[in-house]
Amino acid sequence: MENEMQTIYHVEGKLCRDFVGQIAYTVCLEHTYEELDIEFSFGPQHFQPGEVTGEMQERLLTYCKEEYGGGPSTEEELEDALYHQMKTEIHTLAMLNDTFIGGIHRQLSERHMHFTRDEATQGCIPQPALEGVLKVIILAFTVLSDNTEYSLTVRARQGKERENV
Amino acid sequence: MYKRLELHNHTTESDAVFTCQELVDFMAADGVDAFALTDHNTISGHRKVRQILENTAPALSAIYGMEYTTYYGHILCLNLTEYVPWENINRHKPELLFRAAREKGALCGIAHPFSYGWPFARGCRFEMTMTDYSCCDFIEIFNNPEPLHEVNEKGLALWEELVFEGWNLAATCGMDLHGNSSLHGHYSTYIEGEKGGAVAQELERAIRRGRTWVCKGPLLETEAEDGRVRFSLHQTGKPGYEALPRERYLVTLDWKAGSMTCRLDEEIPLSAFGRDMRVIPKLFEDEAVLENLVCVSPAIQI
Repeated sequence: MENEMQTIYHVEGKLCRDFVGQIAYTVCLEHTYEELDIEFSFGPQHFQPGEVTGEMQERLLTYCKEEYGGGPSTEEELEDALYHQMKTEIHTLAMLNDTFIGGIHRQLSERHMHFTRDEATQGCIPQPALEGVLKVIILAFTVLSDNTEYSLTVRARQGKERENV
Repeated sequence: MYKRLELHNHTTESDAVFTCQELVDFMAADGVDAFALTDHNTISGHRKVRQILENTAPALSAIYGMEYTTYYGHILCLNLTEYVPWENINRHKPELLFRAAREKGALCGIAHPFSYGWPFARGCRFEMTMTDYSCCDFIEIFNNPEPLHEVNEKGLALWEELVFEGWNLAATCGMDLHGNSSLHGHYSTYIEGEKGGAVAQELERAIRRGRTWVCKGPLLETEAEDGRVRFSLHQTGKPGYEALPRERYLVTLDWKAGSMTCRLDEEIPLSAFGRDMRVIPKLFEDEAVLENLVCVSPAIQI
């Protein structure tokens, strides 16, 4: 029977509003794996009802006027900007032994970076040898709200032959 | 010969709609000579596109790159052969990343410098403090889908200002392709090359020498000889452009201390530019307004 995916690392955390930067997690892989999956999720992605205050709306309109010479001009446009266009944007990147193996830059609040010898999630590169030191980097571009939660899980599967060695 | 390049394109490897195969098909169908693969923060498509081109051998070349999508601006890297980490980007010293990528042989430029950023998408606008433009190779002066005046006019003005200051910067443009958008009526980047020539090398030569045209119709060629500047047109046959009679085109010449408008068949004495060493020629239809701009040509070095 094939080995199953095992969780080899899990972490959860919270980000504060307006954080810009990255958080890196380094995982020393105990074995050589045949399959690796990095799961990342965060939330909320958008402002929640009641979270947008009159002051925030004013701030947005003033900013757009000053910086872009325009901005949302109707109530509908303003609502669309606040509740749909503005978003918490966090992406992920992975390095194996200091070499880039994948980056996912898509507006997803849940994602997987999956690797085997022959296949990988789009944005990622198949890896002939999943061993060594894995670094997962969480890239926070925009965080709208305090207490934005995130979770990162690294799962891996050893090959049958390897297990028997 | 001239080669038409589309230098800013995304696939499903990052946040676009086209797969690598679909992007290749799309570019081939439009008669593009070469296209750049510039996904956000990943080079995972390089191998796929290379494989597709090897298998199908269309009359199409790829330029392998990436759009460094940072917190403070987007940096287009072309001829990027390996991933250069950007995560420690320093807003006040972006030159560090530019230099690191260039050390690996890449050409680096600023994408859509005045695009809308926060609160809609942090990082789209270039908000880094760049003081040494010698490590920058080009400015994307037209990001086709962006608003003409609010974004692209400012990008063009930035490039002109830097060129007049003496920086060696080429001008490029791109579709920033994320979906099935027609390329017709939009600007493409043109360079000089040879049939069957290696586009990566031709692009490097063109960028380094500032020999790029940003154009959506005929190319404006200039010749500075015998103390005079002369003009000619080269029809590119770009799909979606209908050529006008020659007399309907106007040429503008801009230099640090002045500007002038003339007809294609006029010859302008170099003395008209005073002591300024760089003159930027542009081609317009009927009237010299941005809406009618057809071509931005390489700066004339006097």
